[in-house]
Amino acid sequence: MKKRFIPLLTAFCVLAVVGSAFAHFMVVYTPEIALDEGQALDMRILFSHPAEAGHMMNMGGIEEFYVVKQRGDAQAKKVDLKKYLKEITWKNPHSSAPAFSALIPKKEVRSMGDYVFVMKPGYYFEKEEGLYMQQITKLILNVGGIPGNWAEPVGLPCEIVPLIKPYGIWTGNVFKAQVLSSGKPVAGAEVEVEYMSHMPNLKTNSMPEKSSVEYPHDAFVTQTIFSDSNGYISFGVPKAGWWGFAALGVGPEKEYKGKELGQDAVIWVKAEDMK
Amino acid sequence: MKKMMIVLTLAALVAFAGQAFAHSPLMSCFDNGDNTVTCEGGFSDGSSASGVKMHIKDGDGKAILETKMNEDSECTFDKPAGTYMVIFDAGEGHTVEMNGADIVE
Repeated sequence: MKKRFIPLLTAFCVLAVVGSAFAHFMVVYTPEIALDEGQALDMRILFSHPAEAGHMMNMGGIEEFYVVKQRGDAQAKKVDLKKYLKEITWKNPHSSAPAFSALIPKKEVRSMGDYVFVMKPGYYFEKEEGLYMQQITKLILNVGGIPGNWAEPVGLPCEIVPLIKPYGIWTGNVFKAQVLSSGKPVAGAEVEVEYMSHMPNLKTNSMPEKSSVEYPHDAFVTQTIFSDSNGYISFGVPKAGWWGFAALGVGPEKEYKGKELGQDAVIWVKAEDMK
Repeated sequence: MKKMMIVLTLAALVAFAGQAFAHSPLMSCFDNGDNTVTCEGGFSDGSSASGVKMHIKDGDGKAILETKMNEDSECTFDKPAGTYMVIFDAGEGHTVEMNGADIVE
């Protein structure tokens, strides 16, 4: 009787784990990242499971929010953007949580070149797993077609550095990038990939219930890839739209308030169809 | 044969120089709101526009100012009173023209 019970329990545990295996993704979003000319930006920062317009989580505030901009080979400039943050409530179909909006005025996004936005949130406590999470997130935008620092590491505790212009990806391109921790490549890093199948609505601060993708199986909701021995990841981009990559637990900080901490590196890129 | 080599080398040099320009010139200008205009230039491959000639002409095509992009690939000048044109001149086939009326804050 007891022996029979064990497999049942095991199955139950596996199910429970599977149930919580949705990928957490910090989302730093603005509708367009390949701009013809400088303009004001409407941005949102939220913590959810974007492939499913899933559970909204409280990111624990924002520690750092800035942009490093560079036009061509001119000197890169860092501009703090925290003063533009405003707390909002983001509503998904089944939950809501504090999130942030940022209206970045044109004066900050006037010049041609690359804009590498960096957002370091506070700490999120994942009760089910008894650990803290912090996802340091990058979003790279270009104005006017002059490239700059898109392929340069910012020097974050952990980050994903693209090897293909992240704002100029065609559907079907391979997204290639390197996972770094304290500036060093991370071999065998587990990287989760999600598609933004519920497009954020900036007017209502919500994601719609309807998905633009039918997922045949859980394995397709959050895809998993690993970095190679030099920290490189490659991912064929199958569909136009937004793709998020999260390198799990690669950051150097491993503990927060006496509990395990998972410090992740996230990057969002956007693919366009060839027409 | 030696002459041939020199010709070939020259041809290769010309071809490579040509390739170095296989990028498009880009420029954007802003009215700084203080009666000055700033133009920023560059190329689609990220290379510097430092030293690129800048022509500012009036409505009749007469030169108002001849200058160059500075080391940061920027150029700031007094805003002309009437209609004007800004020309970023990186050589034949590599110019960008901008009408002063399109240069706003």
